[in-house]
Amino acid sequence: MRIRKILVVDDEKAISAYLDRKLTRLGHIVFTAEDGEEALRQAFLHFPDIILLDVRMPKLNGIEVLKRLKSDERTKDVPVILLSAKAQSNEITAGLEAGADRYLCKPIGFPDILREIRAFEEE
Amino acid sequence: MDKNKDVKIRGIGIIPKLVISFLVLSCVPLIFIGYTTDKNLRETGLETIQRAEEMGAKNLMSAKGIGRFAVEDSVRALDEKATEAIEVRTVDLALRIAGFLYERNQDILVLASLPPDPQMYLNVYRFSNRDVIASRPWPPEETPPQPPPLQWKNPENRASWRHHPPHDFRKIRKPLYREFTFIDLKGRERIKVSDGRLSKDLKDISDKKNTFCKAEDYFLNLGSLKRGEIYVSRVIGPYVKGWLQKSPKGVAVAPESAYAGKENPEGEAFRGIVRWATPVFDGRGEKAGYVTMALDHIHIMEFTDHLVPTQERYSVLSDAGSGNYTFMWDDQDQCISHPRDFFICGYDPATGEEVPGWISEAIYNKFMKSGLSLAEFVRRLPSFNGFSLKKPGSRRQGESGCIPLNCRVLDTAPQCRGWHRGSEDGGSGSFLIYWSGLWKLTTYAAIPYYTGLYGNSKRGFGYVTIGANVADFHKAAAITKQKIERNIQVQGEDIKSSTEESRVFIVGALTRNRNLAIGILIISALVVAGASVAISLKITDPLRRLTRGAVAMGKGDLHQSINVKSTDEIGLLAKSFNEMAASVSELDQMKSEFVTITSHELRTPIHAMLLSISGVLEGYSGEINEEVREDLGLAKDGIERLTRLVENLLDLSRIEAKKIDFNMAPVPVAEIVDKAVQEVLLLARSHHHVIMNHVPGDLHDINADRDRIIQVMVNLLSNSIKYTPDGGTLIIEAETEEDKVIFSFADNGFGIPESAAEKVFEEFFQADKITSREVGGSGLGLTIARGIIEGHGGNILCESPVPKGWFPDLPLDKKRKGSIFTFRLPIHIA
Repeated sequence: MRIRKILVVDDEKAISAYLDRKLTRLGHIVFTAEDGEEALRQAFLHFPDIILLDVRMPKLNGIEVLKRLKSDERTKDVPVILLSAKAQSNEITAGLEAGADRYLCKPIGFPDILREIRAFEEE
Repeated sequence: MDKNKDVKIRGIGIIPKLVISFLVLSCVPLIFIGYTTDKNLRETGLETIQRAEEMGAKNLMSAKGIGRFAVEDSVRALDEKATEAIEVRTVDLALRIAGFLYERNQDILVLASLPPDPQMYLNVYRFSNRDVIASRPWPPEETPPQPPPLQWKNPENRASWRHHPPHDFRKIRKPLYREFTFIDLKGRERIKVSDGRLSKDLKDISDKKNTFCKAEDYFLNLGSLKRGEIYVSRVIGPYVKGWLQKSPKGVAVAPESAYAGKENPEGEAFRGIVRWATPVFDGRGEKAGYVTMALDHIHIMEFTDHLVPTQERYSVLSDAGSGNYTFMWDDQDQCISHPRDFFICGYDPATGEEVPGWISEAIYNKFMKSGLSLAEFVRRLPSFNGFSLKKPGSRRQGESGCIPLNCRVLDTAPQCRGWHRGSEDGGSGSFLIYWSGLWKLTTYAAIPYYTGLYGNSKRGFGYVTIGANVADFHKAAAITKQKIERNIQVQGEDIKSSTEESRVFIVGALTRNRNLAIGILIISALVVAGASVAISLKITDPLRRLTRGAVAMGKGDLHQSINVKSTDEIGLLAKSFNEMAASVSELDQMKSEFVTITSHELRTPIHAMLLSISGVLEGYSGEINEEVREDLGLAKDGIERLTRLVENLLDLSRIEAKKIDFNMAPVPVAEIVDKAVQEVLLLARSHHHVIMNHVPGDLHDINADRDRIIQVMVNLLSNSIKYTPDGGTLIIEAETEEDKVIFSFADNGFGIPESAAEKVFEEFFQADKITSREVGGSGLGLTIARGIIEGHGGNILCESPVPKGWFPDLPLDKKRKGSIFTFRLPIHIA
C-alpha cells in the first residue's frame, strides 16, 4: 500500500513543521494538527493513510483521539503511530491497548520515524 | 477496632498504662483504707464481744455464788427452822402424852375414892371414850373434793395470808379402858368389867399365868402402895409378827405381816394395855383391895400413829417407808408405838415371855455359839454396845418374823443410843442420821410422866421420836434452790445467747462492712477502669488514626486526613497532621507533576535536536560533505549522551519519589540475561572483553519487571566493561537460594576500594576519581540499579576484591582486584 497522505499531530509547532517539510519533500501529502480536536477534524476531513500521533496534547489527549479513530468505521483501519515523551512501560501498554499500531519514544531520530512509516507501506 | 490491627505497638500501650495507673491510684488507697478499717473494726468488735462475754461470765459466776449462798443459807435456815418446828412438835407431843397419862391417874384416883361397884365400873367404862382416827376400811371411800382454802376478805390482811381448812378425818369413838377390876389383897379379882361386860371369869392375878398375855406381874408392886400412890405398868400385849422383804423400791412389808400403816393396812394390829392400879381403902381407912384399869394402848398409839413432820401435819395412815413418821419408846428403850406394829415389843401369849429384840447378825452368831436361849442371851447383852449403821440385822430373826425393836440391844441403829442419851435428863433434841440411804432428821423428847416406876429416871414414861426426811423439809429450800438455779441457768443462757447474738451481729456487721468495702472497691475499680479506658481511648484513638495515617503516608498513600473533632492538644495535633499531610500530598503531587512535566519538557527539545540532526546526517536535508558529517557527529553524540543522562535522571527521580511503576510478571532468568548480554556485546567486543554467561537455563522464573531488570544487568555489565582494562573477563552466574534467585556479576577489573563498597551506589560517585568522560558513565547507573532492585524487594551488594575462585586463571594484583555485584530477586510463585 502506498502512503500518500500523512497526518502529523504534535503540540510542538516546530516539530510538526519539520516533519511536514521533510515528508512533503519525500513526496507525501502532509496534514498537521496541534491538538486533539483539530486532529480528529483533520482525520475525518482528509482520511489520511497513516497518522503520527503525539500523546501529550491540550484539549484532547492522544489516547482519546486514538480511541475515537479506532472506533469509527471510516478510520479504524488507519495505522496510527504514537509518538510520545512518556516512556514508562505502563504508558506504553496503555497506548498499545488503546489501539496504537506502534509506540515510539521521544527523542527519536527522523530516519527511524521514516523507517517506521515505510514498514506500513510494505504491508 | 479492626483498623487498629495494622498499627502494632511494641511494649505497653497508653491504654494499659493509663488504666493500670488509674486503677492503682484509685484502688490502692481504697484497699489500704478498707483493710485498716476492717482490721480495726474487727479487733474492736471482737474485743467488745470478749469483754461482754467476760462480764457476762463474771455476773453469772457471782449470781451463782450468791445463789449458792442464798440456797445454803436458806437451807440452813430452813433446816434450823424445820428442825426447831419438829422439835417443838415432838416436845408438845410428849407433853400431851404426859398430860393424857396424868389424866388417867386422876381417873383411877377418882375410881379408888368410890366404893367398888360393878355398875359404877360399867358406867365408867361406858362414859370413858376417846375418838381415834379410823384407818379401816382402806382405801377410804371417796370423799368429796375439798373446797379451795378460804381467802382474805379485808385487804389489810392479805399479806402472807395462809389458810388450812380443818382435817376431816373419819373418827371412831373407842372406849378408853379394856378392863376395870377390883382385886382383894390376895390378888383375887372380885369385880371385873371386861370390854364393857361384867365378867364372871374372876382370876387370881397373883399368878402371872392368869394375867393378860400371862405377862402381867403388877401384883408384886401393889403391896407397897400407900393411899394415893399409883402403880402404872409397862405396855403389855401379844407380839405380832412381821416380815420385811427386798423390793425394787427398797424394803417392803410382806402382806402376811402385822399392821404397818400404809405399808400393810390390812395387817393384824398390836393390841396392848397399860394397867393402872391404886389401893382402895374402906371406911375404916384400911386397905380393902386395889382397883385397876387397863388402858387400851391404842389410845397411846393414837398419839403417834397419825403425826407426820411434813406439810400434811396429820395423816390417816403412817408410812414408815417414807421416813416421815412418829414413834415411841418406853423408859426401857423398848418400842411401844411404831407405824409397823411388828416392831412394837410384845410377849408370847403362850409363855408370857418377852419376844427378844432384834439384834445384828454378828451378835446373833455369838448367840448361836452361846448355848443360851435367845431371850436369856439378849437379856445378858450389854446395853448400847457396838452400835453401828454398817451392821446388818440378824437374818434368822428376820425370817422368823420376830423382830421387835429394843433400843438397848438394837446394835444396828446407833440413833437408839442418841435418843437414850438425849432423853437422859428429860430434855429434847435432834440429830441427823444416814438411814436407809437417806439423811434423816430424828428428834426426841422425853415424856414427862413420872408416876410409879416411870419416876425412876428423868426420862419419865419414855420418849417420843419423830423421824423426818431431810430432803422433804428441804423441799422448800430445794424448790427455791431449783428456782434460783433455773433462773441462773436461764440468765446464763440469756447472756450466752445475747452475747452470741451480739457476736453474730458484730461478725455479721464486720462481714457486711468488709463485703461492702470489697464491693465498693470492685465497683470503683470497674468504674475507674471503664472511665480510664474511655479517657485513654479519647487519646489513643486519635493517636492511632494519626499513626495509621502517618504509616500510610510513609508507604506512599499521601492523601490522609484525620477526622478529630476535639479542640485540645490532640485536636491541634490532628489539625497540624492534616495540614502537613495536605502539603506533603501537594508536594508529592508537585513532584509527580514535576517529573512528568520535566520528562516531557526535557525530552521535547532533545527530540527536536535529534530529529533535525539525524535528518541532516542521513541526507534528508540535502547532500553533506565529510566535514559537516564529522562536525554534526559531535552534536549527535552529545544528544545521545544527553538523552541517556536525562533518562537516568528521570529514572532516579522516579525511584527516589517512589513513583516508579513496575510491570511485574514472571520472567525467565536465562532469557533476560541473554538479552542484557546482547545489548552490551558490541561495547564489550570493542574493549576485547570476554563475557562468560554461566547462568543455567532451568532456574525458576523471577517475579520482576522484565525491562527494568535488563536495565539493571545492562548497567552492571556496562560498569564492569568500563572499569576493566581491555582483554578482561566478565562472568555472570545465577542460582536459586530458598525463595530467591541470586545473580552474580563479576569482573577482573580495577575493583573498588574497601571504603567505597557502599558509596559506589550513591549518585555521581566515581571511584578512583576517574572522570565520567573517560569511562563514559553518568555515575547514576548503580544508583538506579539499586533503586530498581530494592523496589523489587531484593537487595544488591558490591564486593571487592573478588573472592578467590572466580578468576583462577587470571592473575589479580593490587591494581586489579576485580569486583563482584550480587543481587537477589524473589522467585515467581505461581
